[in-house]
Amino acid sequence: MALLEAIGIGKTYPGGVVANDGVNLVIQPGEVHAVVGENGAGKSTLMKILFGLEQPNAGTLLLDGKSVHFAGPREAIEAGIGMVFQHFSLVPSFTVYENVVMGSEPRAGIRLDRRKAIAEVQALSDRFRLKVDPLPPVRSLPVGQQQRVEILKSLYRNARILILDEPTAVLAPQEVQELFVAIRSLVAQGKTVIFIAHKLPEVLEISDRITVMRQGKTVGSVKTSDVTEQSLAAMMVGREVSLRVDRKPTDQSQRVASVKGLRVVNARGTEVVAGLDLNVHAGEIVGLVGVEGNGQAETLEAIAGLRSIAGGEIEIASQSATGLSVLERRGLGLASIPEDRIAEGLATGASVAENLVATRLNDTRYVRNGLLDLKAIKANAQKLIERFSIRVGGPGYAVGTLSGGNMQKVVVARELSEQPKLLLVNQPTRGVDLGATQFIWRTITDARDAGTAVLLSSADLSELLALSDRLLVFYRGKIVAAFVNSPDLTPETLGTYMLGLSTQTPAEMQVALK
Amino acid sequence: MSNVPTIDRASRWKAIRTEVGRAVGALAIALAVAFVVVLLTSKSPFEALNVLLTQIPARPRTIGLWLDDVAKLTITGLAFSLVFQARQFSMGVQGQVYVGGLAATWVALSPLGTTWAAIPLGMAAAMLAGAIWGFIPGIAKAKLGANEIVSSLMLNYIAIELCNYLVRAVLPKPQAGVLTTNDFPDTAVIPQLIKFDGLNITRLDYGFVFAIVAVIVVWFALYRTSWGLKLRLVGHNPRFAEYSGIKSTFIMVSAMTAAGALGGLLGSMFVQGQGYGKLTVLFEGNLAFEGILVAIVARSRPLAVPVVALFYGYLRQGAQLMNIRTDVPAEVIGVVTAIIILLVSSSFSINFIKRLFRRHAAPAATATVPAGSAAK
Repeated sequence: MALLEAIGIGKTYPGGVVANDGVNLVIQPGEVHAVVGENGAGKSTLMKILFGLEQPNAGTLLLDGKSVHFAGPREAIEAGIGMVFQHFSLVPSFTVYENVVMGSEPRAGIRLDRRKAIAEVQALSDRFRLKVDPLPPVRSLPVGQQQRVEILKSLYRNARILILDEPTAVLAPQEVQELFVAIRSLVAQGKTVIFIAHKLPEVLEISDRITVMRQGKTVGSVKTSDVTEQSLAAMMVGREVSLRVDRKPTDQSQRVASVKGLRVVNARGTEVVAGLDLNVHAGEIVGLVGVEGNGQAETLEAIAGLRSIAGGEIEIASQSATGLSVLERRGLGLASIPEDRIAEGLATGASVAENLVATRLNDTRYVRNGLLDLKAIKANAQKLIERFSIRVGGPGYAVGTLSGGNMQKVVVARELSEQPKLLLVNQPTRGVDLGATQFIWRTITDARDAGTAVLLSSADLSELLALSDRLLVFYRGKIVAAFVNSPDLTPETLGTYMLGLSTQTPAEMQVALK
Repeated sequence: MSNVPTIDRASRWKAIRTEVGRAVGALAIALAVAFVVVLLTSKSPFEALNVLLTQIPARPRTIGLWLDDVAKLTITGLAFSLVFQARQFSMGVQGQVYVGGLAATWVALSPLGTTWAAIPLGMAAAMLAGAIWGFIPGIAKAKLGANEIVSSLMLNYIAIELCNYLVRAVLPKPQAGVLTTNDFPDTAVIPQLIKFDGLNITRLDYGFVFAIVAVIVVWFALYRTSWGLKLRLVGHNPRFAEYSGIKSTFIMVSAMTAAGALGGLLGSMFVQGQGYGKLTVLFEGNLAFEGILVAIVARSRPLAVPVVALFYGYLRQGAQLMNIRTDVPAEVIGVVTAIIILLVSSSFSINFIKRLFRRHAAPAATATVPAGSAAK
């Protein structure tokens, strides 16, 4: 008998978005069940329904063969379902054990029985091979360990079924392996794991069965041993997809930008970029590799002029850009695709046309004597909508009404509408579906082929390996390794440097630093 | 692509319809609640309600009072709309009205007050004073990180007390003990817009025209100039504005300054208007703050502001009449405005109410609706 079964689940959000439409999911006890699909396929909605966060409009949930209805997460937790979100819900200043037991603490009278709590958390961590020290505050832990704390939280509440929502998105390759070890040990001890993922190789490695979703429907459920990465991708997208991009040979002799001895100090006074040197040339993509928070994002922001620097020199198009404003740097040919399109790259309440000219409000084509040329602004929007095939009703629609992939296309269209000299890209395809990913990769490589110098930072190593000409590995605000990209370069090699386990000597790096 | 503009227009009309529906729905609910309150407290509830809703058009005088209020509510609504669109929560219109009134008084009571220049100069001086009063919390926020809500509210008190002191102790007045200045010379008083022969004088003056002009100017500035686009982008997402190279601190300060100029203009419309023609203490009668309500209901859209002001001004005048002629105090209208603000600002919608009722009616029914019906 299936442990958990969802039959004909339907969910329509107010506003008419159909997120789930007749979705079926069968989870057998003791399996690792992956749910895959593009963004917007309805995976998260389905999981939220299983966890009681959303109420379905249609369909039934069966747990142990009995119909259940969760009015909220508390009821789901009581029924033995636990969920770990992409964005953790931990109290950073509390210790690990406090976070784990919070809400169902062991008590001594009215006081929290600390000794017992610590012992219980320790025992749980040993039993499931989720190594984490119960005593330090969660704030001081790396992301991988915070995730373990989240899993322990669910286990502490006796979860039988554990839902992990894109758990590998934030992890380095080694940490992914450790997570997989933990998942296997969980399953060996009778737990069941539902695993949501984007990255197909990981899915193939860890899961027993895979359910594929597309556009709110279940496409099918297959045994992992019966599928390949290609066939799975085809199921997800509904057609054959190529996950490769071809890069033309380019002339990479001309230096477009350089950074010397860059130092950036964050608001808390910590040095996040510690004396960094890098160059980037016309026609090349330089990949900035590293676990998030090792200075890649800050480096890009410093070059864009969005973050004040504590020291060092930035040069764009052989001019010193150190003291220049954002607009002046853009005038030198800089364009940038920021990490978080909604928080930084767009004004979601403003129209598509307005978003597309926001960086050009000093351009006489669109603004003369302080007055907007609405016709030109609209024509520009129509041209870009067509050229970048942005799916939108028209230039006047608010950006917030677009899907994630189309929002990202608006950003890309604005930044690449005119061939930039230097392009800064941070996480270009995070949360973007396969179709749009392909498109965005194509656009970035096209810019490179046409002679743009590109600095690319991404948490997705396969993206970096697919696009970059050279790769620089960041660790604690410094470059610890540099590679010229080749088919022999593996994520594992990069991983050892990303985690600071080893460092190249200056001589080794020299070749790839140019 | 040729059909895009029509789609645009259709979607805009749809958005307008939804917003208007929300506002009217909120108004209806609020009036219903107010009616219940009146029913419970008044001896003649229907008469009270009748006065509130139907007595204004009965006389030219009350129409004049109403439209004069509309003009003033429009100006303060515009001032708040401007700062709200830049997502600044400056509450300083009241203070700007007082310093604007003072500046206009200074011109009106000076030798210039008896010349043709008294009105334009008075208005200009009032706008300048208001702009400075709006600039202070802006620059304090930009340079020192001072919260604009706190600093603008504090500046309101300073302006009120300054006006109080000057009227009581410094400015010339007709006799000792009164809390007003001398009447302004006729040349310094904004003329009546329409004269009714032999009828009671109506308070409506050319301030009404200024309000219409202000609506157009603010709309044009927000939607047709690059400053306005920058301002709206800063309001939508300051980080994005910064990333696009827009100097958001400049935009923020200039928005608060421009709103201040509007506040100052309102001050001159008060003291130089037909209602006063002199400076008195506490002359604005808390009208300035009601611009917040107008701006919220109008969703900070300059073209919607006068429409909302028209309705709200009607209720406001109706409440005054009700206060005078029946046993229901004008404060009842506070209930109405409070409910409207609550409903409008809490993104209430007809669907929301429907959902609320459905949830109460059948908490468990939602999960067992037959499959397929959800997709429709």
